[in-house]
Amino acid sequence: MAQEENLNGLPKEKLIEVLESFRDPEVFNAVTGPWKSRVVWQGGMRAKAYMRNHVAEMDEPGDLTATDVAASAHEQLLSAMGSCITVGYIVNATKRGVRVHDLEIAVDGYFDNIRKWAGVEEEGNPGYGRISAKAFVRADADEETLRDIFRLAVEGSPVTQTVRHANEVSTELEVIG
Amino acid sequence: MADTPLFPVTTVGSWPRSTSLIRALRAKQNGEMSDSEFNRLADQEVISCIRSQEEAGVDIVTDGEQRRDNFYSYVVDKLAGMQLMKVSDLLDYANDRARMEEVLRALDVPAFAIKSPIVVDKLGKKEGLSLDELAFMKEHTDRQIKIPIPGPYMLTRSSWFEGLSDKVYESAEELSKDVVTILREEVLALRDMGCDFIQFDEPILSQTVFGEESTETFMCAALPQRRDPTEELEFAVRLMNETMEGISGVRTGVHVCRGNWSRKEDVLLVGNYGPMLPHLMQMNIDQLVLECATPRAGEMEVFKEYANEKEIGLGVVNPRTDEIEPAEDIVARVRDILQYFSPDKVYLNPDCGFGTFAERNVNTPEIAEKKLQAMSAAAVILRAEFG
Repeated sequence: MAQEENLNGLPKEKLIEVLESFRDPEVFNAVTGPWKSRVVWQGGMRAKAYMRNHVAEMDEPGDLTATDVAASAHEQLLSAMGSCITVGYIVNATKRGVRVHDLEIAVDGYFDNIRKWAGVEEEGNPGYGRISAKAFVRADADEETLRDIFRLAVEGSPVTQTVRHANEVSTELEVIG
Repeated sequence: MADTPLFPVTTVGSWPRSTSLIRALRAKQNGEMSDSEFNRLADQEVISCIRSQEEAGVDIVTDGEQRRDNFYSYVVDKLAGMQLMKVSDLLDYANDRARMEEVLRALDVPAFAIKSPIVVDKLGKKEGLSLDELAFMKEHTDRQIKIPIPGPYMLTRSSWFEGLSDKVYESAEELSKDVVTILREEVLALRDMGCDFIQFDEPILSQTVFGEESTETFMCAALPQRRDPTEELEFAVRLMNETMEGISGVRTGVHVCRGNWSRKEDVLLVGNYGPMLPHLMQMNIDQLVLECATPRAGEMEVFKEYANEKEIGLGVVNPRTDEIEPAEDIVARVRDILQYFSPDKVYLNPDCGFGTFAERNVNTPEIAEKKLQAMSAAAVILRAEFG
C-alpha cells in the first residue's frame, strides 16, 4: 500500500476526505454543535475551563489584585482567534499542497470601555472594540497564493467570525441552595 | 604581518547571499542537504565574492560569510554543546516572556525568524570556528585576509539562556571560561595559518549601552534581560583580554555597530561612542572597527581624548542604502578623523556587513561592489596626499 502523503504534519488526502464529508447533513449536524465548556471558579479571579478532556486555567494580572497564574479570559479569546486562523491557514495550505515552514500570528486587542467592567461607568461596551491580527509565514509558494490562503483562513475562521459578527448570546443564572 | 598600504580598504565581513545559497542553507539546516553538497555551492559564491572585492580594489578581503547563517550563529556547526534555536522555541523557557513579546512587537518581526546559538550542553570544540574558511580563502586570493569571529562577550551572552544553559553552566560567567579557551585556541590557529586580521564581532555592546526597552533587538536572544551597562562593558573587556593574553603576531580588531537588520534608520540604535571608549580602549586589540558613516554614530570629537591609542577601522559608507557615497565625501570623512588619528592608523570599511543575517541582505552585490569602489577611489586620493 502506498504511503499517504503527509504535509505540514497532516495526512493530506485523509484531511480532504474529512472536509468533504461536511457536505453530509449528518456530519454537518454533528460538527455544528453544541460545543461545550464548563468553567469552575477556583478562588480569587481564577477559573478552570473544562472542554472535552482538556482543561485551561484562567486568571487576571497581579495589578488587579489577582494571582496572575494564567492568562485572562479575554487574552485567551485573542489567542483563540489567532489559533483558529492558524488552523485555517494550515488546512487550506495543506489542501493546496503548500508546505509551510513557519507560521506565527500576533494578535492585539483594545477595549472600548473597560471602565464598565470596573463598575465605575454605566455606559459603553466593555469588550474589545478593536482587534488586529498580523500573520508571518514562511512557505513554499508565491506571495499571491500565500495571501489567498490567508484570506480563506480569516474568512473561514469560526472564532474570528464569531468575534467579528454580532451574535445571539443567551445567559441565565440559577441560584443553588 | 604582510605590508599594508596607507588607508587600507577592507570590509566588516558579510556579503549579500544569493537566493540559491539561502535556499541551500535552509535545506542544510533542515537536514535535506549534506554539508559537502552545500559547500560545493558556497565555494563558488565565496570565490565570486572574493573576486568582487578584488575588482573593487579591496586590500584586505573576507569570504563574505557566505557559509554562515549569521556572524555568530554559525558556530553551532563548529562547537559541541550548542543548538541553533529560534526565539519561538526559546519562549517556552524564557522567564520574562512578556518582555520578549514587547521586543517582538517593537521590531514587528516573527519569533520564528530570529535564531540564536544556545548552550544546551558542555561546550566543546568539534573543529575550528573559521579555519576552513581561511584555508579556502588562501587557495583563492593573494590579498590579505580578514576573518571575523564572534567576540567572547557576544558568544557568551548570546548563547547563555536561563532555563536551558543553567542546567550545564551555573552562570554566563562560568560559560565564559570555556568560551575564552575556545577563542584563544582559534586565534592562535588562525594566526599560525597566516590570517592577517582577526576581527572580533561585539555588536551587542552598543545594544547594552544604547538599547532601550522598545528598541532592543534579538540579535542576541538573551538580551532582553536588562543588565547594568558598565558592568557589562567591564565583563566584555575582561573576556577580551583573557582571550588575547600573551598573543601577538596577528592584527586584531573589535567591531561595534548599532544594528544592521533593517534599512529603516529610525529603528536602529543611536548614540556616540563616548560611553564605550573608556572600555574599548582597555581591550588588548589593535583596532576599533566602527560604524561612523551615519549621524546615528554621533560626534567624532569623542575620539579626541584617545587620539592614536589604537587604529580605527572607520565606517565610511552606509551598507544599507542604494546611494553610492562619492569618493570626495569619504575623503572628507577621513580628513575629519585625521584630527585624532595619524594616517597610518586609519583603515576604511563600510559601517557593517552587506548581509549580516543570511536571509536579510541589506543590499545587492552590485551596489556593495560600487560602494567598495568608491572607498578604493578615496584611498587613492588619500594616499597621494598623505603617502
